[in-house]
Amino acid sequence: MSTKPTVAMRGISKSFGSIRALNEVDFEAWRGEIQAIVGENGAGKTTLMNILYGVISPDQGSVLIDDKPVHFHSSSAAVANGIGMVSQHYGIIPGLTCLQNLILGSEPGFWLQSDQLQDRAEDLSSKMGFQFQWQDNAEKLSPAMAQKLEILKLLWKNSKVMILDEPTALLSPADGDALFTSLKDLANEGATIILVTHKISEVLDHCQHVTVLRGGQKIHAGETAGLTQSSLIQWIVGESLSEKPTKDCQDDKSEVLLQLNGIKVRRDRGDFALDGVDFTVRSGEVVGIAGVDGNGQKELLEAIAGLRPIEAGSLEIFGRSGMNYPTADRLQNGLRIIAEDRLKEAIIEQWNLEQNFLLGFSQMPDLNSRGWINRKVAKHEAESAAHKFSTQYANLNQTLGSLSGGNQQRFVNGRAFALNPKLVLAFQPARGLDFKATAQVYEQFRTLAKQSKASVLVISYDLDELLENCDRVVVAFDRQLILPPKEDELNRSALGKLMVSGLK
Amino acid sequence: MKRIPAIVLLAVVCLLLLYGFLAFTQLSVASAMSDLIHGSLGGSSQISQTFQHATPLLVAAVAVFVALRAGLFNIGVEGQFVIGALATGFIGTKLSGGLGMTVAIFGGAAMGALWSFPAGWIKAYKGGHEVITTIMLNSVAGYIAVGLASGPIKQAGQESPQTAKILATMPSIPMGGLSISWATLIAFFLPLLAGFWFSRSVKGFETDATGANIHAARQAGINTKRVIVRTMVVSGAIAGLAGALQVVAYSHRFYPDISSGTGFDALGVALLAGSYSWVLIPAAFAFGMLYQASPLLQIDGLPKGIVDILLAIMIIVGAAIRFRRLKALG
Repeated sequence: MSTKPTVAMRGISKSFGSIRALNEVDFEAWRGEIQAIVGENGAGKTTLMNILYGVISPDQGSVLIDDKPVHFHSSSAAVANGIGMVSQHYGIIPGLTCLQNLILGSEPGFWLQSDQLQDRAEDLSSKMGFQFQWQDNAEKLSPAMAQKLEILKLLWKNSKVMILDEPTALLSPADGDALFTSLKDLANEGATIILVTHKISEVLDHCQHVTVLRGGQKIHAGETAGLTQSSLIQWIVGESLSEKPTKDCQDDKSEVLLQLNGIKVRRDRGDFALDGVDFTVRSGEVVGIAGVDGNGQKELLEAIAGLRPIEAGSLEIFGRSGMNYPTADRLQNGLRIIAEDRLKEAIIEQWNLEQNFLLGFSQMPDLNSRGWINRKVAKHEAESAAHKFSTQYANLNQTLGSLSGGNQQRFVNGRAFALNPKLVLAFQPARGLDFKATAQVYEQFRTLAKQSKASVLVISYDLDELLENCDRVVVAFDRQLILPPKEDELNRSALGKLMVSGLK
Repeated sequence: MKRIPAIVLLAVVCLLLLYGFLAFTQLSVASAMSDLIHGSLGGSSQISQTFQHATPLLVAAVAVFVALRAGLFNIGVEGQFVIGALATGFIGTKLSGGLGMTVAIFGGAAMGALWSFPAGWIKAYKGGHEVITTIMLNSVAGYIAVGLASGPIKQAGQESPQTAKILATMPSIPMGGLSISWATLIAFFLPLLAGFWFSRSVKGFETDATGANIHAARQAGINTKRVIVRTMVVSGAIAGLAGALQVVAYSHRFYPDISSGTGFDALGVALLAGSYSWVLIPAAFAFGMLYQASPLLQIDGLPKGIVDILLAIMIIVGAAIRFRRLKALG
């Protein structure tokens, strides 16, 4: 470790209206290291990084790069100074090719020489161990691939300080490990890497320094060597977490809520995403679907929801055939969807909380009285949906877009519990949530399954999250759902092997 | 929310521009303003005329507004207006009495709906953009109007292409010297009805959701294809109604250039109103005032083009304000 930090932020304060997001926070990052910033939702991590990246300016405090004070008034100034950031919401433009997306904003000249550009792109990606079809439309990139492309964009801009906001949220364990290997290589070559994360294991396994924020204040900063998981959690949460509820054994005789028999479903681009999938979900269970991104999880969810046609095989949901069973009716009978892409599929940002609550419920008899919306019930239910996971909001007329990503997710999760759900399809329900909120979500899933005889199908790229919280885990691999042997339903190494090879 | 100050700013900018333009003419700002007021509101005849301009425009603007809520840009209001007027004009020459007039009006609305249906259907099921299809349908409507009015449905013994006078016309509301048609009352009622429908009805909610985020709407179980077709048809019906009211209340017969661009001006009115339906009323009335006053302004040396330029600037700035918000959503 060199003695002087590459990045030093001193006494940073920032308020938004009456909310103090940061209160005299210090932060340092060194060349050649990966340093972590951890904290709960709303602890101020993103605000701090946005200040470093020049997106917002601090009310107080100074930023020093290589000991020189800097004042970035825009992110382009920060980029010019070698600072790069990948945010939680990827900036990939569909319709452009991968290569065009890569060079976007830092085109090397007036004319683009495609061959040369592609050579350099190949160099960068092979160095990182990534593979891209550079001339393909970026629209088709999975979130994991989009994340990789975002990292390459930083390299393309010669960023020396890289800020990564939850880079592994959508990656499989193997991809995540590969990413950290590459990040370590980058650090060894002299980059300064700042990792914003919720995953304690990443901090302890891969980072040299950690800064803990809580409620806009710095709680701890120091080396990770010698730290334990529990001490880190204590700093982040300010209390120790309660024990998880124990898991129950599943009763084979309980009612079948969902039955898939050899279903075949196509992807948008026409090839099969699912090719002969058999799967049963019974009431009262929380089932995890693990798997690397792009193994048909999205298509599976859409097929179950009635949003994507089933080419062959049969689907039975709530005891009724999936044929001529529109999504609206399934929702009415208790299906709930927590969509993968929150901003694109789950919410309408410019709408207020009450209106957003109504998405998915507009045909419910409780809310639809002869074609008119029952506002009283809507208000009441929207409020309970928000309170379910303590969404931080001022009032129901506030636009949902004005809430932080984590709070939006809390609201979306809360909405799935409204009006007697029977089968919840949850795609990455913990995305952007800190582990306290994550634990809460799964606890509620379990309670729902146990008390209301409902079931929950969770799709996640985070195997550990599923192992900790589900009754059983199946693996999506190569157009199939692979059911592990009974004794391996919660066996990490067996499932990990299935995820990458499909072999039991 | 944020839109009201933006509209105020827009008004101020337009006034400043008006000052600028006026510097090139013999007119002083004060006399231009007084011309505008006198020309449009200076007497019962002027007021009546202003309402006459504003009424079909307001109805057509509601048609644009409804489509915009579903994210559809109905450029075809012009064509739907013409087809609606054509149907009403034709039926009106055959049927008499209050019932006949009602049938003629509904016939106009139905034909407007029919005329917009292909655009909605192609958009929903074939992915063809509604701007392209409605522009094409506008041209077709124009040719049909000329073709029929100069031949099959032409008034016997007439030189110009027009139908005979309709048998039953819409009366005026008895109001002293003013001559304001019952059509105006219908027109003023429509935006309020639309606003209420969007904020309270389930179908209105689903239309809004489809316009705001079609992916989220689909996930919420909304049949977005059906919403698109339905909204386009409703928009076309309202546009047809605008044409029908023009015939029964004012023109009393059909001729091919009956709309004189009402359907396009309605785009401007709707863009100015943004997401507030009630703003359609003052916006359409302001357009009506400018039209009504423009002959007087011309006589006093303000070229007609300047009024149009002013309207254009208002529309562009209004649209910019509106789409600035949409842009952020991607």
